[in-house]
Amino acid sequence: MSYFFQLVVSGIVVGSIYALSALGFVLIYKSSRVLNIAHGQIIAAGAFITYALTVMVGIPIYFSFFISMVITFFLAMSVERIFLRRLIGEPIISVIMVTIGLMSIIDGLIYLTPFGTENFSFPSFLPTTPISVGGVSISWTQMVGVLVTFAMIGGFTWFFKKSTIGISMRAVSDDQLAAMSIGISVPRVFGLAWAMAGLSAAAAGGILGNITGINFDTLHSFGIVVFPVVILGGLDSILGAVVAGIIMGLIQQFASGYLDGNWGLSGTGEIMPYVILLVILLFKPHGLFGIHEIERV
Amino acid sequence: MNMNNKIKWMFLVVAVFMVTLPVHTFAAGKVYKLGLSLAITGPTSDAGNPYAKGVEDYFNFVNDTKMLGEDKIDCTIRDDQYNNDITKRNFEDFMSQGIVFYLNYSTGSTLALKKDFEEEKIAVIPASFHAGNLIDSNYIFLPIASYSAQAIGLAEYIVNNHKGGTPKVALFIHPSAFGRGPVEDVQKAVSAGLKMEIIEVVEHGKDLDNTAMLQRLLSKGVQYVISQTVQSPVATMLKDAAGLGLAAKTFGEAGKLTFLGCHYTGGNDLVALAGPAADNFYWTTSYIITNEPSAGATAQLDLAKKYNRDEKAANSHNYANGMMVAQVATEVIKRAKAKGKEINKANLYEEMLAMNGDKAFSPGTTVGPVTYSKTDHAGVDSLQLYVVKDGAFKSAGTPFIPVYTGKIK
Amino acid sequence: MSSNRWFATGNYFTSYKEEQRIFFTSLDRSAMVLLILALFLWPLFIQVDNKYMLVIDNILVAVVAVMGLNLVTGFAGLISIGHAAFVGIGAYTIACFGRVLGENHMLLTHAWPLMIVFAGCIGAVFGGIVGLPALRLRHLYLAIATLSFQMIFQWTINFMDFFNQGQTISVTRVAWVTGTVSRSEHYTFWYYAILVAIVLVGFAVRNLLRTRYGRCLVAVRDNDRAADAMGMHPGFTKVYAFALAGFFAGVAGALHAYLYRGVGIESFTLSHSISFLAMAIVGGLGTLHGAFWGPLAIKILDLQVEQLSEWVGNHLTFATNLATALKPLSFGLVIVLFLMFEPRGIANWWRIVRSYVKLWPFRY
Repeated sequence: MSYFFQLVVSGIVVGSIYALSALGFVLIYKSSRVLNIAHGQIIAAGAFITYALTVMVGIPIYFSFFISMVITFFLAMSVERIFLRRLIGEPIISVIMVTIGLMSIIDGLIYLTPFGTENFSFPSFLPTTPISVGGVSISWTQMVGVLVTFAMIGGFTWFFKKSTIGISMRAVSDDQLAAMSIGISVPRVFGLAWAMAGLSAAAAGGILGNITGINFDTLHSFGIVVFPVVILGGLDSILGAVVAGIIMGLIQQFASGYLDGNWGLSGTGEIMPYVILLVILLFKPHGLFGIHEIERV
Repeated sequence: MNMNNKIKWMFLVVAVFMVTLPVHTFAAGKVYKLGLSLAITGPTSDAGNPYAKGVEDYFNFVNDTKMLGEDKIDCTIRDDQYNNDITKRNFEDFMSQGIVFYLNYSTGSTLALKKDFEEEKIAVIPASFHAGNLIDSNYIFLPIASYSAQAIGLAEYIVNNHKGGTPKVALFIHPSAFGRGPVEDVQKAVSAGLKMEIIEVVEHGKDLDNTAMLQRLLSKGVQYVISQTVQSPVATMLKDAAGLGLAAKTFGEAGKLTFLGCHYTGGNDLVALAGPAADNFYWTTSYIITNEPSAGATAQLDLAKKYNRDEKAANSHNYANGMMVAQVATEVIKRAKAKGKEINKANLYEEMLAMNGDKAFSPGTTVGPVTYSKTDHAGVDSLQLYVVKDGAFKSAGTPFIPVYTGKIK
Repeated sequence: MSSNRWFATGNYFTSYKEEQRIFFTSLDRSAMVLLILALFLWPLFIQVDNKYMLVIDNILVAVVAVMGLNLVTGFAGLISIGHAAFVGIGAYTIACFGRVLGENHMLLTHAWPLMIVFAGCIGAVFGGIVGLPALRLRHLYLAIATLSFQMIFQWTINFMDFFNQGQTISVTRVAWVTGTVSRSEHYTFWYYAILVAIVLVGFAVRNLLRTRYGRCLVAVRDNDRAADAMGMHPGFTKVYAFALAGFFAGVAGALHAYLYRGVGIESFTLSHSISFLAMAIVGGLGTLHGAFWGPLAIKILDLQVEQLSEWVGNHLTFATNLATALKPLSFGLVIVLFLMFEPRGIANWWRIVRSYVKLWPFRY
């Protein structure tokens, strides 16, 4: 039984980290309807910046974590300004392809630094003994990860519900023309959405980097890993990202916990999200919480 | 609009430049052409990068110190981004340039090009130690003992040092040919009488959390995990195990897990990724490490220093790996030259096969001599066990040769 | 009707039938005949290295695949991020036959043209199946469905023993009237084989676009509700676009398998899907000849950057990182710059050149 609860706890931990990684997708899609394929690269960049600040500059990790969030905030904003601003109004495939191109460009830029091919790890700053309750344990790194995730998600939810900018962002995602007519600057909202996505990506990168170590291949592949999560949750729902993230985390843990090693199966944790995704797409195409646009002709 | 026009012109200029960039040819003379195709970018580039540096530096060293007299080695190094199609293209290119010896990299491409090596009759040393490379092949030479031999060596070490009962072991492998290679051979060794039990074979994915897996293994009574993969997943697993307090402090501690791994799981990169969690990780390879003084280590560090490599590359076991294959290639050329033979594919292949008995070659970067023969295509047969103590690998015991590799043939 | 059958300065169509001709002027037709002749004859006069022959073959295989992608993404407007998986289906069809019947079975060595068509059909079946969600899904969600297929395909191949768990399954050399094709003839032989395939599929696509089924695709892309109102079935059209793309991909996959004499999962991964998309875009979506320009441009860029980075690596030893970074950088920049400044792709340059030549020496 404690094995079962362990799987539940690990599932929730992994799931909330997925949710944090997925948050960036949702923020961008919500406001500008762009699917950002280069998200994984931004996550990796966030981790690298945090590491560089901590180890090479010597700033305590708590501060460097925040500084790197600020840096990626502006980086992502300028990416939007330089590459995507011109494409407002272009067909969706062009925009997706631009983000694919961006992915390669960021890859290239990262290969210019030692991070492209070398491995690093954050200095440990948390207790190494795990938190253990009734045979179910969770490591401190993971605990911090979960806390940061929920803090960020709570923050964003508040931001969208209460702050003026957040409300204007929601207005843009609801109806661009109407938003423009009441004086909201749509391009600025897009830029801000990218910037906030960058910020959340840096947070995700910092946490992932602590869990897996800093390896470019591993980090940037999380951009693809969280795809099923965003789709399941509905591309434009923050709540959806959280719920779907946790569902996916649980599915993965249960698949690898109960299916792997039996009936000659292995690696099911990796493919299960996609199988479930395909099924869900057939029955609930807009995900669990996505807005179902009803089109009347 | 004007801006757009300007950019269009720029486009055109760049396009013309790209199409007309001349193909570089090197001056002819007594130059022996070699080729190396490997992943300098893309997956596994953390291993490929230092490997390429090792090869490049050693051949530069050969040329700069006139090791072959006035003759020079020209080894073209190409990035294939771990993509078999590009490897094939590079190989065809090298062949038309007339290479006499070929260095390859990944397991996938070595298997994919096996038939081409046979048809071209060219000796090949890959960076993949997959035992399956040698099946139906006469021209592929592994530089050191195969992954299978490494895994069996680790298994034998477990059996010899385990206290009480039959040790229960799990294999933690990469989901590819590279990872799966040794599984069958370890199973064969067990059925040939190696007293241990394989409880589970785990193929890892991009797991963020191995808690479930580790606890499952423990609940099944597993005490040892042999890994055959790359560093990053092992690091995640080690960190989880350390975080959960499941990692053994000493070898074979009861109720805990002891982690062991083959060549590509270990090295300084693992320590860099896993940090203190890497402690008490057992690793086997045939290469020496630079933490401990030896002639080979000095040679490696000097070479890296001569060509201005950074600390990380200089101390990488994959730098040693690349350096060693270059040493072997140079050695066969030297031997063929000493016999007054023409340097071509056939003669170098012959020299490779003759590299045994009193003609075994000791490059210094390995823990034993390199031997090849018609039946033995694995170079260095001896393995050395290393263990991480206080954040650095230290050797444990003396070099050994696994017993069961012979028995399962 | 234009008064001159060779040169036409404008359109003088008086019936739809005229507009649908494959070649508008006799000059067009002769130029095409000459081009095809030249493509068939040049290897007799010019000797090229195996490497370059392989590159050319590779480009041609990519042309076949991109033609399929262009149908589904360019003409029907459905984004497919799993095209490499369909190519893989074709390649693995050949490999499966090898596994079941034995590598040197007559079907594989002698009836290979049949096998290639068969692989295409299997690709079409899978294309249709993956396209099924199109009955319910739209836009991005459909793209994600293709991405899921890509992942599931990779996983299946990777974990099933039957597929050798993704390791290379070797494919035999084929026989021709002159006997078994040897190593030295291999690349030239397949150049011809692929070229024949391209000429066939090229004309097939051109003709398809003249029929109602081809126009259906474009109609659904431009406005599927309007198309629905005019009696077309948008869902069915999308499924059938996917099936067609699957067919082309399957053929390309089979050719790839024979050309490389082996099938391994590493040739059909997500990054290949992405580069097919890049080729389609750089070439020009929704144009037939775009499918030729795209692969040509991307592969040549790749090759030239490789040479450039080798040159950089040789001359500026401190800049080895720069050399390795050049490839992804240039690939990404090309895609982004094209999308930003020439979203209609190289095909648009061709259109501009053509219209200039057509009216020469007069200008607008």
